[in-house]
Amino acid sequence: MLKADRVLLASHGTPGARAAECAALALAAPAATIFHLVVVPDLWKGMMGDDWLNNASTRAAYGRHVESQLAREIEEHRAALEREVHASGRRYELKVVLGEPSAALLEYAATLQPDCVVIGAPRPKGAPGLRSRMRVEKLAGALGAPLLVVPHPG
Amino acid sequence: MVYTRRTVWPLVIGIIMVAYAYLVQGGNMAALIKFLNTGRYVGEMVTLGYAFGGVAILVGLWQLLAAPREGHADYYLSTVAGVMFIMLVAFIVKWGLDPLMGMWGRAAQPSLGFNFASVLNLNYVVMGIVAGIIVVNVFRVPHWAENGVRLSRLGLKTGVILLGALYSFAELAQLGKLSVLMIGVFVLGSVWLVLLIGARRHLPNSMTGVLSSGVGVCGVSAAVAAAPVVQAKSLEIAYTIGTILLFGVVCMFLFPIVGKAFGMGYIQFGAWAGTGILNSAQVAGAALAFQPGGIETLKVAEIFNITRVLFLPIIVVWLAIWYVRREQAAQRSVQQVNAMEVVISKFPIFVLGFILMFLLSSTGIFAPARHYQGAYFDNSEKALVRTDRAGKQIDNRLKADEVATLQKEVDKVTRADQKAALTRLIENKKIMSEADDATVRGVINAKALSKEGTAVLTKAHRVVRHTAPKISKFRTLIAWFFTFGLVGLGMQITMSSIRQAGGAPLVLGSIVGVIKAVGSLIVVLLLVAETI
Repeated sequence: MLKADRVLLASHGTPGARAAECAALALAAPAATIFHLVVVPDLWKGMMGDDWLNNASTRAAYGRHVESQLAREIEEHRAALEREVHASGRRYELKVVLGEPSAALLEYAATLQPDCVVIGAPRPKGAPGLRSRMRVEKLAGALGAPLLVVPHPG
Repeated sequence: MVYTRRTVWPLVIGIIMVAYAYLVQGGNMAALIKFLNTGRYVGEMVTLGYAFGGVAILVGLWQLLAAPREGHADYYLSTVAGVMFIMLVAFIVKWGLDPLMGMWGRAAQPSLGFNFASVLNLNYVVMGIVAGIIVVNVFRVPHWAENGVRLSRLGLKTGVILLGALYSFAELAQLGKLSVLMIGVFVLGSVWLVLLIGARRHLPNSMTGVLSSGVGVCGVSAAVAAAPVVQAKSLEIAYTIGTILLFGVVCMFLFPIVGKAFGMGYIQFGAWAGTGILNSAQVAGAALAFQPGGIETLKVAEIFNITRVLFLPIIVVWLAIWYVRREQAAQRSVQQVNAMEVVISKFPIFVLGFILMFLLSSTGIFAPARHYQGAYFDNSEKALVRTDRAGKQIDNRLKADEVATLQKEVDKVTRADQKAALTRLIENKKIMSEADDATVRGVINAKALSKEGTAVLTKAHRVVRHTAPKISKFRTLIAWFFTFGLVGLGMQITMSSIRQAGGAPLVLGSIVGVIKAVGSLIVVLLLVAETI
């Protein structure tokens, strides 16, 4: 079985992503580095919608709240995964990017040149979560490394 | 940070606008204008084309040639390109797409059996918002236009402030009472209903809190105001805002169709849209879609909108207290909220501008107070006898044959006041007072006379009602502010946000949203009269 030294893992804390994390750890060589990419989808740029009547201070407070919520969720996710990766004797590196998930992954993979890329499969219909997903066909056509799409546990 | 982007596009847009105004002014677009039947817009095509085009050219040149430095001037000038971008879209829609759609609707009527442009209210307001939505989702808003697009909310606020000049004390008092009553019942009712169902279904307090404000008060704006107070999670915010945007866009199309199907008048529709549409931005859109050629519906709808906005700080405080109590009851740590601070920070300052404008116009500082409220009464000779451009005198008083028609039919009227008003009309060849005008309108509406007799009365009524040119222009200006604001807001409605509609907020929001829309429709149809 492939044992990769540089594993690029794209995950964001959902059950599907959790399955991808387990697979990434199983694939990684004993002294490998797990490069963890968290993409904050650019849909958040439109999350004030057509609000027009709030004062600037209210909008700023909302912006700070959303940022702090996203940061907290990422931090909780990072802490848990980093602990797990270190416990297995491997190295962990985190990168957080705002953008379109597939494009962000391709861009990071181009600079990183990983041995393999691991992502979770699309969420089953009805499962909670943001409607923003990696476009597997786009990734498969453009990635220079093997792509592992891990089935959703549900 | 320097905000200005070096781009040639503002200059290009400016040249297009000025060139178009120049061609219209020179008569070179006469054939197109005749084909589209947009002759009534020639004045604004020339004025707005030169005004906006000139500014765009100047700022475009400055952006290309000067080296912008960090500061306020840089920030404000960086918005100009986006403003021009929105205006260009609005011009194309209002002077091109709107008349074209009307023609296509009429052309397709024999095959479809109905005029789709009329039934779907595909006028410049609706198409402007749709154009904005298409721009952001298909082409994306250009980087150089982003700051200006964000400025569109200022356009809406300015429109609301200026609208303040067009209300009388009586109108504002009666609409105010009605709106407080309806908004009070439906806003508080829907907030309470969401909180109740949320608690019964054991939804997280943060999710229930942000959803109740969005569904209950004024849509996205309320969700934005309440989310930090109830510590809403990111997914809960996304679900809620997606649901509200989806519901709002659907309502904007659906409400005018339903309103026309029920034969609603301006006041009824304004009251219904102002109460039943979840998202406040779409209230203005629906009102202008219902009545694109006037602002009577908008006036009513905006009073309801303003009332909702005034409820917002109170609701946010209520939710803050509710959230803290529920979290404390569940023995979770939670930060206390300063109620007064919330009320002050959430108070919509632009409403003060609206009130100030109303007070100023009431003093007659801009024009005689009676000029503001739609068509005013004037039966003086100066108003009825005019001279046209060719120097020919036009006398709008009743002609001998018209008088004869009325004389033959006056006995058909049995009520003494109506008979007296018609007798005075026959004797003087014009309606003699505002009271007589109201009485004559009653005779017209009752269809008490023959078709010919009613036509004479209608003419007599119309010639004593006038719209001051200054006020007419002022109304056009207000409509443009709303058009600018709504096209720009359309550019902020992304499909990726709408796609987030889901989870419990979609189910609960839809249930309460439909109850609110249908409930307010029933109340309006049963209880709201068409006159204020």
